[in-house]
Amino acid sequence: MVRDAGALRRPPPIGPRGLVFAGIAAAGVWSFVLLDVPAERLLPGSGLLPELRDLRVLGDFLSRAVSPALDYESSFVPDSAPPLLMKVLDGAHRTVAYAAMAMTLSLLLAFPLGFVASSAWWRGDPARVTTATRFVPPLLFGGVRALIAFMRSIHELLWAIVFLAAMGYSTFAAILAIVIPYAGTLAKVFSEILDEAPRDTALALQATGASRTQVFVFGLLPRALPDMAAYAFYRFECAIRSAAILGFFGLETLGKFISSSFDEGYYGEVWTYIYALFALVLVMEWWSGALRRKVTA
Amino acid sequence: MTGHGSSDGLHVADVSVVYAGLPALDSVSLGIAPGEAVAFVGPSGAGKTTLLRVLNATVRPTSGCVTYRGEHLGELSANDLRAVRGRIGFVHQSLGLVPNLRVIQNVMAGRLGRQGLLQSLRAFVRPKPAEIEHAYEILERVGIPEKLYERTDRLSGGQQQRVAIARALYQDPEMLLADEPVSSVDPARARDTVKLLTEISSEQGLTLCMSLHNLDLARDYFPRLVGLRNGKIAFDAPVGEVDPDEFQRLYDLEQGEMLADGA
Repeated sequence: MVRDAGALRRPPPIGPRGLVFAGIAAAGVWSFVLLDVPAERLLPGSGLLPELRDLRVLGDFLSRAVSPALDYESSFVPDSAPPLLMKVLDGAHRTVAYAAMAMTLSLLLAFPLGFVASSAWWRGDPARVTTATRFVPPLLFGGVRALIAFMRSIHELLWAIVFLAAMGYSTFAAILAIVIPYAGTLAKVFSEILDEAPRDTALALQATGASRTQVFVFGLLPRALPDMAAYAFYRFECAIRSAAILGFFGLETLGKFISSSFDEGYYGEVWTYIYALFALVLVMEWWSGALRRKVTA
Repeated sequence: MTGHGSSDGLHVADVSVVYAGLPALDSVSLGIAPGEAVAFVGPSGAGKTTLLRVLNATVRPTSGCVTYRGEHLGELSANDLRAVRGRIGFVHQSLGLVPNLRVIQNVMAGRLGRQGLLQSLRAFVRPKPAEIEHAYEILERVGIPEKLYERTDRLSGGQQQRVAIARALYQDPEMLLADEPVSSVDPARARDTVKLLTEISSEQGLTLCMSLHNLDLARDYFPRLVGLRNGKIAFDAPVGEVDPDEFQRLYDLEQGEMLADGA
């Protein structure tokens, strides 16, 4: 037997993968050079770190972390104001409600967009190839993928600023600012989950004479749904944070209360609201974990 | 010879299938009469799976033609193709069940080829009593009626295979194709599976084609054996006329060629 000379040749010490890693490392170094941050300027007193006065504010704020307010810190509270803890509950409830509304609309958009953006949706029947199946799908597929890339390339805060400038503040504008990037991100991830789902069921159902839509709905979707649900739960958690953040733009959520209390210097109240937000995220975590255990058990 | 053009049964005439430049089937011709039971034997890579997929019209031949009951499969419209596939039950090697659905939902997926989308969604969400009863009867025949509402991934490998068989039977097929149905179960169960499929086929008058590694099983349950090697038919004969040496040669020749390739 003749040995194949090619099979015995050693691979080069730095292959293509090594070059990619080296490139990423070089980009990290380059970013420091670009920002012009010499190491000594990171030391105290060099001007880059905050002044002592600023540090005192930071200290005041952080020290209230262990003593969040249980009642209003202001000396003047109108009689009509609800107790602080009721206000916290109300804010938490509104935050969840707005997040849920944003997620519902996002999911309604993300399901069809994600389907069309998956290669699986367009996977034809290998026993039937026509001119239409060859040219139309790639056009629609590419168009939808470009659309969802555009939707998620702009952050919800940026969308909020744009909508605020265009139509002034409204709850609908704030929700829309969340929905657009969220629907784009959900659609992208849904399409990837669908494409990675096992295909054996789809092939088996195709063999029973199922139509392409039936193959997708009964063969592929049920195999992708547990992962899609888990991701949607994670995004719901993100939506709660986004809804809170949009409070700084006037959406009636915990963020709005945080913003106004912070401006007044009522750091105790700020911490109370932050802990409420934290509790919301914990509840979400517990809920999605419980659901996931049930699905995968 | 192949009886090409006859309006009865399934006829394969000079079919070749090429995947990425490599021939998976090479000028294969054979005819299968209604109600016949045929085993395709040979080593892995011989083309058994491809031949089965050509038979149920999920792989289009690169050349040659397949006729089923007088219809040319290559010339059918999408709807007619679905109708033909709907009449052929296929038990896949990987089963192709949805693990996170109930057994009844997997079984009832067998009817998709005869339903529109809305009808199939209705049957999935709210099966009619008659449909439930039918699924139950089929599960009873394959030996696992008590699993009707069980989640499919809670079943053992052998039980899941029976669900796949039940789904094929729920199609109410004229023909059953099974791809190595013994590879997903332990050897003791393998014989049961082959026995079950041959019994059901003869009870219901179904044509049965099965690919098998195991010559003993093929000889015990099939009156006709088709030996495949490198995409070609090496022999096609009644079981009494195939001697074990001929079967063994399917594997020997392959080894000879692998050595030739490596030189």
